[in-house]
Amino acid sequence: MEQQFTKSEKFWMNFKLYQLYRFIALNIKIYTVAVQSKFK
Amino acid sequence: MAKVVVIGAGFAGHTTALYLADRLKKKHEVVVVSNRDVFSYLPSWVWVGVGHMKPEKTIFKVKPVYDRKGIKFVHAAVREIHPDAGEQFILADEVGSGKETRIDYDYVVVAPGPFLNFAATPGLGPEKGFTNSICSLPHAVTTRDNYLALCERMKKGENVKIVIGTGHPGATCQGAAFEYIVNVHKDLVKRGLRDKADILWLSNEPELGDLGVNGVQIKRNGHTMVSEEFIKSVFNDHGIRYQIQSGVTKVEEGKIHWQNYEGDEGTTDFDFAMLIPAFKGQPFKYVNKEGEDITAKLNNPGGFFLVDGKYGLPYPELAQTPEAWPSKYQNPTYPNMFAAGIAFAPPGPISKPFTNKNGLLIAPAPPRTGMISGAIGRVVAMNVADLIEKGEITHGERMTEMVAACIASMGDSLWDGNAVTIVMRPVVPDRKKYNNPYGRDLFVSHLEMGLSGAWMKYMLHYTFMWKFKGKFGWKLIPE
Repeated sequence: MEQQFTKSEKFWMNFKLYQLYRFIALNIKIYTVAVQSKFK
Repeated sequence: MAKVVVIGAGFAGHTTALYLADRLKKKHEVVVVSNRDVFSYLPSWVWVGVGHMKPEKTIFKVKPVYDRKGIKFVHAAVREIHPDAGEQFILADEVGSGKETRIDYDYVVVAPGPFLNFAATPGLGPEKGFTNSICSLPHAVTTRDNYLALCERMKKGENVKIVIGTGHPGATCQGAAFEYIVNVHKDLVKRGLRDKADILWLSNEPELGDLGVNGVQIKRNGHTMVSEEFIKSVFNDHGIRYQIQSGVTKVEEGKIHWQNYEGDEGTTDFDFAMLIPAFKGQPFKYVNKEGEDITAKLNNPGGFFLVDGKYGLPYPELAQTPEAWPSKYQNPTYPNMFAAGIAFAPPGPISKPFTNKNGLLIAPAPPRTGMISGAIGRVVAMNVADLIEKGEITHGERMTEMVAACIASMGDSLWDGNAVTIVMRPVVPDRKKYNNPYGRDLFVSHLEMGLSGAWMKYMLHYTFMWKFKGKFGWKLIPE
């Protein structure tokens, strides 16, 4: 069977409230790891 | 008073200049020489190429920024660099008048970005060939026009073949091509034309999702997931066909010639193709005080500037030697010369290279654009400032230590758009430090797809335009 995203995965990918949470979480994650690089 | 000359005003050069000016506080002279008088935010050209963003939104004039920061700007194309002590200068031709200008320097940073080597693949490119490109703003605009013309043909009922990927066995920037192919898919869906197009991903990657960085690996719910599975799901979900392990050797009108790992030669027909060319270093000539051409001593065969890397290691050894990657980006022969961004010579590929039975090397080059370029630009600026102020270098960051975040757009709508958010540490696997087959920090590395990525991509566009304009708080925004 071809590898595809499940219906559940697709739902969460576009569920606005969950994506808002992911937006905040990803920003914190990227900022944290990127800032570490500033001190090298 | 020392004089630092930065060649190039792109991600690497512009970042270097901003940090130098900030650190040296007008006590020393910072000069930027570039043949372009605008800064270009390249990551958004993928949207220009489908007509979703106006070209002028991706650029701004650099001179007003440099005037504010006390940086001198010379709008000229560099031709020669004379690096020998006592006679250290650059010869450049002023854009417009063509007048030769001599610029003396104490320190020089070579950061001019890539030379788009369309000539390496006969028939490739928008100017002398048959394919499109999103690697420069004029190319992205032409690509948009050609794409919209294709859409008109589809509206009239014509079925078309679209091929997107890499146009040379050694090309890099698969990420940009991936963004473009998915944006084309999404745009065609919105236009109700998707059923009229057969879309093919044609790439030199050893595995799907390799992206020139040996893939991305993450830990999710206790088990390891690789980008190959992820990208395969995206392509299957979007009905995009894919052909990897293939190096494009020639392009004719409507026909792409390629060779694969098995050494098979084949052709693929197309109505519209966007293929990333091979990159090489800018064709600067280095001349010693005797007037001899010493370019071959300072550049690798690809024209990239040699720095403090360990060159010449075979791939299996290089893959186990993280310290082979440069840390200070300083030339060993001329310690006052540095390179930043794509201009520095990497010690080898990140992805596993392959030579087929016909002797064709199919090996994605290491990507050194975007965040990586900026981070190297900052390290170089700090090192030059260190040399001027303290007489020694105190900064270093190898690509085997560097973190990179990449947001690959898959539709730009803020309501139902999508993007893949990729975080990887390090960019080049360090198999000594990280005890897993991938040589990556699986706690930090991350791969996620969703609407939040589309918001991030928009946010990054405006945040980085702010940063690169050197506006209030620009240093707080990471590279």
